[in-house]
Amino acid sequence: MSRVAPLVQRVLGALADGGVHSGQQLAARARVSRSAVWKAVGALRDMGVTISATPHRGYQLAAPFLPLAVAPIEAQLTAEVRARRRHLDVAWSLESTNDSLLARGAPPSGEFDLQLAEHQSAGRGRRARPWFAPPGGALCLSLGWSFATLPREAPSLSLAVGVCVLRALASFTSAPVQLKWPNDLYAQGRKLGGILIELQAESAGPAFVVIGIGINCELGAGLSRRVLKSGTTPVDLATLGLHPIDRNQLAAALTRELVRGLLQFTDRGLAAFAAEWRAADALAGLVVNVDTPGGRVVGHARGIDAEGALCVQGVTGLQRFTTAEVSVRAQK
Amino acid sequence: MDIRKIKKLIELLEESGVAEIEIKEGEESVRIARQSPTGMHTVQMMAPNYQAVPAMAPQAAAPAAAPAPAGKAQPAAAAGEHLVTAPMVGTYYSSPSPGAKQFIEIGDSVEAGQVLCIIEAMKMMNQIESEVSGSVRAILVKNGEPVEFGQPLFIIE
Repeated sequence: MSRVAPLVQRVLGALADGGVHSGQQLAARARVSRSAVWKAVGALRDMGVTISATPHRGYQLAAPFLPLAVAPIEAQLTAEVRARRRHLDVAWSLESTNDSLLARGAPPSGEFDLQLAEHQSAGRGRRARPWFAPPGGALCLSLGWSFATLPREAPSLSLAVGVCVLRALASFTSAPVQLKWPNDLYAQGRKLGGILIELQAESAGPAFVVIGIGINCELGAGLSRRVLKSGTTPVDLATLGLHPIDRNQLAAALTRELVRGLLQFTDRGLAAFAAEWRAADALAGLVVNVDTPGGRVVGHARGIDAEGALCVQGVTGLQRFTTAEVSVRAQK
Repeated sequence: MDIRKIKKLIELLEESGVAEIEIKEGEESVRIARQSPTGMHTVQMMAPNYQAVPAMAPQAAAPAAAPAPAGKAQPAAAAGEHLVTAPMVGTYYSSPSPGAKQFIEIGDSVEAGQVLCIIEAMKMMNQIESEVSGSVRAILVKNGEPVEFGQPLFIIE
């Protein structure tokens, strides 16, 4: 398939320090021709990397690029978590980190697989909607895990994972990050990240879950516009004051909290997360549109029940939803 | 068993072209069989080796013969057939994304491990895989419909 040529990665590496580099310099560093550099810069811009070009001076990244790497992530895991890893890999470009782990198959119970990528050629969210992330400016992380048996309350794992991400972010920023049911990450009323959990499970049998997390770190103007066009207003960690952020440190914190959270969920289910989820509820009290395959319901969001279902007070009474697309209704 | 559930099962049977469904829930079990001549005709076409065929075939030879009630025949969903049920409550999707090609259609042959559908609950996408290899005999749910825990989804033979 269309794997991104490593040339693009080498040119990004040559630009990494954030300084101005002439085409000639880059060509020498990446050991390619100047026209190849020019093409690579075009390809990087297509991926959403912000690169400015000044005539007679050269190219410059909008922000220094600190590549994701296995060693610094592993070094920042606790020994207990590190011992549970079966597979830990950072790729330059993949179709999707979730697909890569789904194809790998279930790890043994109690162990995890971790896959990161700088770039996803087919990154996706719910119902295969595209997920945009620029190399260097976002975190695309997937974690694979096995449950010995599928818990009956399995869907509420979705909410528990949202809380795990908040716990990880809390060690980096005191800026309030909220959860829009079931687990979209919001800050300043805009989307900071998303979670897509895919599951392969049989009734009362073992369950293999792949948790995909996308977090906007520093999107850049071009990519922000692309996300906006797709119908979502994005925000990134840089806007929240985290600049620059060490994404390896963030990846390690997410991994630690996910492993801890998955063990907690196995023992106690959503109860171990419900209070934190409610405290971060982005919709509480707001008038929302709830779109389901069966139609739209409008009402006041009233938080979650013990199973994690969204409760909405509509004209016909209090209704609960387990599958729905929720949006805040514009106030008149 | 809840009467509404039985009603739903009857609807499923009527939509599906399956002759008979047997569902066990703990110690209770219910078997629903189709009796209408059209239903029998479907069975006849889909399972030419079916033992009861001679009893139904007379439509051409002896149109006056009353069709034998299917309930007396051997269970159609028993030998060599596999019922796939929903492992969790959620919404059923027949394709990976809206407008995309369906994972499976009736008559398709499927391999063990092949994804048959997705069930979503709280943005958790459960890929339902076939436990057996065979051909898709019946799809018992429609895209976008809510499904209950244990609800029959497909018959693979």
